[in-house]
Amino acid sequence: MKRTKLAAALALAASLTLTATGCGGSSSSDSLQASSGEEASGTITLWARDSQKGFMDILADAYNKSHKAQVQVTIVPSGNFVQKFGTASAGGSGPDVASIDLVYLPYFASTGVLQDITDEASKLPYKDKLSPSHARLSTWEDKTYALPFTAEASVLFYNKELFQKAGLDPAKPPANYEEILNAAKKIRALGPDTYGFTMAGQCGGCNIFEFTPSVWASGGDVLSADGKTAKLDSPEVTKALTFYKQMHDAGVMPEAAKTDSGTAQPALFQAGKVGMVVLGAFFTQTLNTDKKIDYGIAPIPGENGGSASFAGGDNIAVTTGSKNKPAAWDFVKWATGDEAQTLLAKNSIVPVRTDLVKSVYASADPRNEIFSKALETGKTPYSVVENKLFNDNNGPWATMINEAVFGGDVQAAQQKAQQAAQQIIQTGP
Amino acid sequence: MTSLQSSLRPVPRAAWWIINISLAALFLYPFWVVVSQSIKSPAEAAAAPPTLFPGTFSWGNFAKLFTNENGGAGFIQQLGNSVLVSIGATLLTIVLSTLAGYGFARLRFRGSNLLFFATLATFMIPFQAVITPLYLVLHQIGLTNNLVGLMLVYTTFNLPFGIFLMRNSFAALPSSIEEAALVDGCGVLRAMVRVLLPVAIPGVISTALFTFFASWNEFFAALILMTDQSKYTLPVALNVLSSGTFGTLDWGALQAGVAVTIVPCIVIYVLLQKYYVGGMLTGAMK
Amino acid sequence: MAHNTLMTARPGKSGRPSVPPRPQRRRRTLSTSRSRLGAAVVSPALILLTVFFFLPVVLMLWMSLNRWPLLGKISFIGLGNYAAAFQDQDFLRAAGFTLLYTLIMTPLLLVIGIALALLIRRPGKASRVFQSIYFLPVVVGFAAAGYLWLFMAQPNIGPMLDLLTRGGLASHSDNWFGTFATALGIVCAMVVWKVAGMQMLLLNSGLQSIPVELEEAARIDGASRTQVFRYIILPLLRPTLALVLVFSVAGSLLAFDQFYIMTSGGPANQTITAVYHIYRVSFQGFQLGYGAALSALLMIVLALVSAIQMLILRNSDHN
Repeated sequence: MKRTKLAAALALAASLTLTATGCGGSSSSDSLQASSGEEASGTITLWARDSQKGFMDILADAYNKSHKAQVQVTIVPSGNFVQKFGTASAGGSGPDVASIDLVYLPYFASTGVLQDITDEASKLPYKDKLSPSHARLSTWEDKTYALPFTAEASVLFYNKELFQKAGLDPAKPPANYEEILNAAKKIRALGPDTYGFTMAGQCGGCNIFEFTPSVWASGGDVLSADGKTAKLDSPEVTKALTFYKQMHDAGVMPEAAKTDSGTAQPALFQAGKVGMVVLGAFFTQTLNTDKKIDYGIAPIPGENGGSASFAGGDNIAVTTGSKNKPAAWDFVKWATGDEAQTLLAKNSIVPVRTDLVKSVYASADPRNEIFSKALETGKTPYSVVENKLFNDNNGPWATMINEAVFGGDVQAAQQKAQQAAQQIIQTGP
Repeated sequence: MTSLQSSLRPVPRAAWWIINISLAALFLYPFWVVVSQSIKSPAEAAAAPPTLFPGTFSWGNFAKLFTNENGGAGFIQQLGNSVLVSIGATLLTIVLSTLAGYGFARLRFRGSNLLFFATLATFMIPFQAVITPLYLVLHQIGLTNNLVGLMLVYTTFNLPFGIFLMRNSFAALPSSIEEAALVDGCGVLRAMVRVLLPVAIPGVISTALFTFFASWNEFFAALILMTDQSKYTLPVALNVLSSGTFGTLDWGALQAGVAVTIVPCIVIYVLLQKYYVGGMLTGAMK
Repeated sequence: MAHNTLMTARPGKSGRPSVPPRPQRRRRTLSTSRSRLGAAVVSPALILLTVFFFLPVVLMLWMSLNRWPLLGKISFIGLGNYAAAFQDQDFLRAAGFTLLYTLIMTPLLLVIGIALALLIRRPGKASRVFQSIYFLPVVVGFAAAGYLWLFMAQPNIGPMLDLLTRGGLASHSDNWFGTFATALGIVCAMVVWKVAGMQMLLLNSGLQSIPVELEEAARIDGASRTQVFRYIILPLLRPTLALVLVFSVAGSLLAFDQFYIMTSGGPANQTITAVYHIYRVSFQGFQLGYGAALSALLMIVLALVSAIQMLILRNSDHN
């Protein structure tokens, strides 16, 4: 009786292996065009990150009012997005459309989760006016798997009121490491509850967004252009880590920063308790709604000047597992159109249409000018193991920054991280 | 009796009371924190440093929980999920382990000892180790991201303990009762239901409580197997609350969520502790 | 008596040749139908256990021999995953930390459990009330308890930290989750709070099974309280201790919830446990085959440790 049980179990295991090897291809129709050219209909599900909560519903409402097809939005916590989306896609219970952080595109494209839309994308009238960084990340082996959706760039936010109190000129934000350090020290001196600078010490994704531009602006990089070599032990990284470590050692950062996974950092700035933070365009929406802080925006400087930014944001894609691909593509297409992108710009979100950035977005608020400039010169690392390497809060990148800035031995942290990073790249997705 | 009592009492009376009251205060303090934080007004709940006693009484944090402000999907739905899954798993576990317990105790068949031993062996295999392939099996059956699937998984986790408890309950009962019923003309199953079951009720209640608490509080499997926010159970919902929206964490709402999660367990425990504790001890003393 | 007759009435094993054939046949039919019924009532539970437990265990062993990404192609690699495990610095560190955690928690919980059990030994209603209070945290889940304690020790807003600051033992801006020792300390405190009541209960019932006459006899013979404890109580408590220890050690070796929730494995991955690492490998790194191999290793270690404990501690029937 035990033997037959074992045999049956092995048989089932074998069948699971076979089915699993074959999984990834969908049984539903691969066509993105609705039958006989009529308008797409039906309901589709869309997953987006929690940082898009503010405008996603507005967008969905606008679409639903003017289209036969209806879209249902589900918000997934940023920290769990890769895990949830990956697991659901593998299990066949994923959404029709997904708005994905663009850094994850190479991974999902390479594992067959996203629908190939090369042909349809090439027919778009504005295809040359879409953000180049986004387009590059959506491409895998010369095929297009997603369209750019929302843009994002990292910049330095500073509290003008605190600057004034500390005797600094609010019209002249710091332009290199030393100026940041000095400004931070002066603001810290204002009181025991006021800090000069803060960061998210236990957050990989936050720091690839906020910290890397310092390295870029100083002329270095953290990953080779083809994504095959990690550069975590480069001298520019050493200088940037040392600079942050100096800030920590000078006491301008709160102790809580060490274990902050990204929730305390913006809250502190919102409460007017910190002089400077590096965050993105999404934060302006929060500050503008709050109306409490008189904030300024500046490009992120390098060691001796210059500036750089992380061109981020989301791409939007049709999933291979979608059961209603015509409607899904219809929404994806609409999301990059004039109406949708203008709607985004009106809600303080940076559009991905370079033709609209200046006309609609930058004109809305003088500060937005900085974002559009940042986007033009922004960089994005390209990697199929982005999540394991950079965004993972327990991965080598997050650990390196945490150990170097808050611990002590910068170079040892770098060495360890470099080894682990290269190992991850070698193992592959 | 007096000399016995004095040998059993290593600690003098006053000291005993002082120690116990101090310890009780320490043990109860976290509960005080949850309750007081939840009923503070949202503004006061965010105060740094925190206030020692709530200044005003407010349902504000709970209101935030139950409107869709936090986490996106309704907290009420997630509460409902927990109720559904826990009660479902409890009922299923009671039925299956009572049947199996009776079978193992009274209706011996070829290989029953071996199977019973196999059931016990599952105590030695942690479900954390099994979660990866379990996920694949559920996927094949189409039960991932499905509350029924989760219910079945929880039932399975709790069956070994339940079967063990019920088997012991039935085995401990004298066979004369059963024989008497049989002689009176009842079929075997009817004999069981009408005669033995009422006597084994304590075991059933203990199994029910054990399963309910285990299912209500389970975090790991629920985190992995449920991908839709609308299908999360309470512990995972707390996880969502703790990551905040737009990066700001509402501690008051989180503690209100913790309160909602622990109050049912405390109420049930206080009302039925005799059975819960009794069951645990019977189960533990092999 | 009737019970015995039923039990011996198996085909071919009748030990009573003087019993008339008709009742014997009836007894055989009765026992066959009973055993069929037995198989029937046991099978629903067994089916569930097979599908959701035994089958996954077998599958796990098979998966561990493959490179099995969640999304992508599967390939057979024999013992490759196991070899990789011993080279995996993160895994080795997680295993080491799990052992450290177990070594800290086990004696801590046992001592506190025994202390509480001795405290509530005094007969009377007050003892029952205190017993209920100490046991109360047991019914709170690890997730809820984790978020509760995370808040209590949070810098600036945590009430526990606030009380300690007022008492001069800490300062409001202290980040206890920022250093390894203090982060581990908070988690251990939480687990003690949550689990000590259970240990108290089990140990207490073990204590109650020790005949008081033995204790009294020893006291009359002039033994001090500590001697009574060492030479009478402890040895007789051994079976209970064995049980408590096996579950305590298993629980510590399998720890996940509290670290995922309270420290997120930090600071700098120093509090990642074995199960936490398996979770990351399988469900964040999507390497199911490797995760299965690590799970198999965990299972083996757990079985070995439990077996050793039982062997050492169960032999206790000498007075």
